[in-house]
Amino acid sequence: MKRGLLDICVLAAIKNEDSYGYQIIKDMKPYVEISESTLYPILRRLEAAELLTVRSAEHNGRLRKYYHITQRGLERIRTFREEWKEIISIYQFVTKENSDE
Amino acid sequence: MSKADFLSALKARLQGLPCEEAEQTLTYYNEMIDDHMEMGMTEEEAVAVLGPIDEIVAQILDDTSLFKLLHTKIKPKRALRTFEIVLIVLGSFIWLPLLIAAAAIFASVYVAIWSVAIALYAVDASLAVGAVCGLFGGVAYLFGGMAATGSLAMGGGLCLAGLAILLAFGCQYAAKGLIRLGKWLLLGTKALLLGKEKVK
Repeated sequence: MKRGLLDICVLAAIKNEDSYGYQIIKDMKPYVEISESTLYPILRRLEAAELLTVRSAEHNGRLRKYYHITQRGLERIRTFREEWKEIISIYQFVTKENSDE
Repeated sequence: MSKADFLSALKARLQGLPCEEAEQTLTYYNEMIDDHMEMGMTEEEAVAVLGPIDEIVAQILDDTSLFKLLHTKIKPKRALRTFEIVLIVLGSFIWLPLLIAAAAIFASVYVAIWSVAIALYAVDASLAVGAVCGLFGGVAYLFGGMAATGSLAMGGGLCLAGLAILLAFGCQYAAKGLIRLGKWLLLGTKALLLGKEKVK
């Protein structure tokens, strides 16, 4: 479950503007800690699933890879938000049962 | 460790990956180190932040299918010459049975693992059936006026019930262990295919 959530987090990190590896980790840090070695397979997986695209751009005389979210990626975030609404209401139901005891 | 040392160590560990993929991985980590250094870290610190190479390799291993690793291992690094292709075809009576044997060994290990689990559960189920029969049979004997036989059957039934319950726990542990063994074997095989140095 956590694995899927990290995928969504990475998509969310590039939702508003294209970003690169270091920046993605930094942006996610206040919410969820992710290591460089964890991020890499996620990026590869998302690219293979066509949820993001990669382009290389020059930065300070070297190449840096920028990740861009695709329409499918945006769609994936939307689905997640829909699904999550349901999970939150289940959570509320579960915790309500507990407080009654 | 310096950046160059880190990258060449990583490269050595990724030999089993398709060339392009290994290259991409190295590019990624190269960029990460550069970005960390740009934000004020020294080269050594930037490499240290990435964590142990073992962990990096483990993550990649986890995400790469056994099939892809096998494919890379088998695929020749350059185009084959005609006589090589002829040799391969002529030699097929040697390598084809070997390949089938290897696949069969793999399959049989898997089947063996699963049959142990199934056998354990079967023993447990038979104990449970024995327990039920013993208890009911015992009751039947008692009502039939054969008190001694009835008590013996019921006692036996209770013993079997106890054993069945104990073995049920055993089965659970064994099943978990076997699943772990299966995963470990798969990971070990992948590690063997990926690089020269073995992953612990």
